[in-house]
Amino acid sequence: MTSGAPRLQLHRQRGLWRATFAAMANPCEVLCDGSDEPSARRIGELAMREAIRIERKFSRYRTDSVVHEINASDGRPVLLDDETADLIDFGETLWRLSEGAFDLTSGVLRHAWRFDARAAAPSAQLIAELLERIGWRRVSWRRPQLMLPRGMEIDLGGVGKEYAVDRVVAAIQRVTDAPVLVNFGGDLRATGPPRGQAAWQVGVESASTRGQAEQVIQLSVGALATSGDTRHCIEANGKRYGHIIDARTGWPAADAPRSVTVAADTCTQAGAYATLAMLQGRNAERLLQEEGVQFWCLR
Amino acid sequence: MQLKNKRPIGGALASAACGLLGALPASKVHAEESQTWQVDSALLYYSEDDDRVRDVSLKAAIRRAFDEDRSLDIGLSVDTLTGASPSGAAPSDVVQTFTRPSGHGSYQIAAGAPPLDDTFRDTRIALSANWSQPLGERSRIALGVSGSSEYDYLHLGADARWERDFNQRNTTLFVGAAYGNERIDPVGGAPIPLAPMRGLDDPSSKRSTDSKHVVDGLIGLTQILSRRALLSLTYSYSMSDGYLNDPYKVLSVVDPNTGRPAAGPVGDGLGLYLYESRPDSRTKQSLYAEGRYALDRDSVRMSYRIMDDDWGVTSSTVEAAYRWNRTPYDYIEPQARYYTQSAADFYRTYLVDGAPLPQYASADYRLADLDAFTVGLKYGRRAAFGEYSVRLEYYRQTADAHDSGVGVLTRYDLIPPLTAFIVQFGYKFGF
Repeated sequence: MTSGAPRLQLHRQRGLWRATFAAMANPCEVLCDGSDEPSARRIGELAMREAIRIERKFSRYRTDSVVHEINASDGRPVLLDDETADLIDFGETLWRLSEGAFDLTSGVLRHAWRFDARAAAPSAQLIAELLERIGWRRVSWRRPQLMLPRGMEIDLGGVGKEYAVDRVVAAIQRVTDAPVLVNFGGDLRATGPPRGQAAWQVGVESASTRGQAEQVIQLSVGALATSGDTRHCIEANGKRYGHIIDARTGWPAADAPRSVTVAADTCTQAGAYATLAMLQGRNAERLLQEEGVQFWCLR
Repeated sequence: MQLKNKRPIGGALASAACGLLGALPASKVHAEESQTWQVDSALLYYSEDDDRVRDVSLKAAIRRAFDEDRSLDIGLSVDTLTGASPSGAAPSDVVQTFTRPSGHGSYQIAAGAPPLDDTFRDTRIALSANWSQPLGERSRIALGVSGSSEYDYLHLGADARWERDFNQRNTTLFVGAAYGNERIDPVGGAPIPLAPMRGLDDPSSKRSTDSKHVVDGLIGLTQILSRRALLSLTYSYSMSDGYLNDPYKVLSVVDPNTGRPAAGPVGDGLGLYLYESRPDSRTKQSLYAEGRYALDRDSVRMSYRIMDDDWGVTSSTVEAAYRWNRTPYDYIEPQARYYTQSAADFYRTYLVDGAPLPQYASADYRLADLDAFTVGLKYGRRAAFGEYSVRLEYYRQTADAHDSGVGVLTRYDLIPPLTAFIVQFGYKFGF
């Protein structure tokens, strides 16, 4: 989605190096502690390369991506490489854990739901038509071979960003011990606290005041991922609908929190908890409480 | 999706993430909400054996955090001391009578018993406020004021501290200074040094109030040695001047042959007990080193302090603690401390009648040659509503008078050992 050569910007900020770039339709940043400028730049470039590699490989918009190859397979079997197969396996696990609410094939619903200020709820007929093209049960997945029925699409967008954060962290940890915080559009992970401080300070955006951090979370190690969007939601039939859609109904779970932020060891786990909680609608908090994870819900 | 099957999904999710990422990180997530207000409170009970000092104190450290790393810290503490403390007089084989500090009463100490003054009762209230904020990119400054009050004592102080990070934040240098002023208004007046204890309602050995000033300066360095190790060094210098005596401490003047108290002022019917006399200035220097080391799960802390002053007191303190993080939510921390000091040059267990009177003399056991050790155990637990802890400590102190005494004094332990127990409950919460 980025056009032209991506650019890395490096700033010094409060004793830390902050490397920023755009990838996966999000502002991405890497905060490095205890490094000089050349090593901070090296870390930033490493992060950017890995993020862009993942974006290119799994973007459904690019004609050279694996996802495009699958979606254009027209019902023929496709052999997947290990990394793609791992992501498909992970998506299948989420589908099973959510009893079908999360579905890698539900991306087509974006044609019905536009979450912007003037959006209205789509017609039942449109939803019904789209549901015809959704359902992991109809996909034949025998690793490494995937066979997607004609007319269906898969979308790894639901797990890609968190996965990229974890991959970038792993790449950085291969070259340095210095503590870093990798933040891709609010999904983030820290490898350790900045030197001389107990934790990184992470702001969770407030539901009411856009751009103003309401809750500050002190993260020393581990990940935080947020599902939901404080800006995008739809009011219909007197209910508020979030932007995570239940693949079984084609509708977002009713009475879901505006946003759910979850803390976990990896960004992938945190993101999965947040998505699964969102799909619970009004029971989002209950699921997270029963799981015993730390979370922050905005309603 | 209904929550029909309550089977937790965490395990399945962890194994799926592990499959996707190849491995899961060794360290568990650690995140907490940053609170605007933070309260760290403690209730402490300190009890010495043989009905000596008992202290119940309640402390609270309250922090209000503001944007941009600025904070206000408020400290509050209330202490209630009861019990008896050694007056400094030597034991004897006869009943000894002492005038209470107020001059309005007297008490007797049985033959052979250590002379303890049981009028010792006090409530202390202390308050402090400290403002801290960054000063530019790499520096911080903190400014504070403090005050404390007892019925015979008023302290007012101010302090400042500046610190700066160097070397990519691996090194922090700090300097600090403090000034304190204390007004001392002892019950019955401040005794004139080396004046004799007098009978009832005779204030001729007392003046009214007095004061002292204390100036402290410190400079230190904190160095991160590795991801696991941290070393901190602090040098401090302190000067006090003014009235530095303990107004309730006396020395026995004993007969050189019998060891019994010499006769006091004519007509009072008391033995001869002189109020102590300390120099009116004291300069202390100390060096403190602390190392912290993080193991995979636990952490270790060790420290050493050496203090030296121009009264001849040199002390060393060694302290170590091991924090065993049993689970992410609770820990057990065994602690140990050893303290040793040499006596002040003017420390005397007693004075001898007829010998020339020294310029300075004190029989306060806290200025004697003494050793102390403390062993303790702390248990802490994090819960949804805050973090609480319980600490138990055992303290044992022994002193050496370097003098077995004369006459009857040889029968007694001139500085009896002291044992104390400490129980502390701590509760920390934010909102």
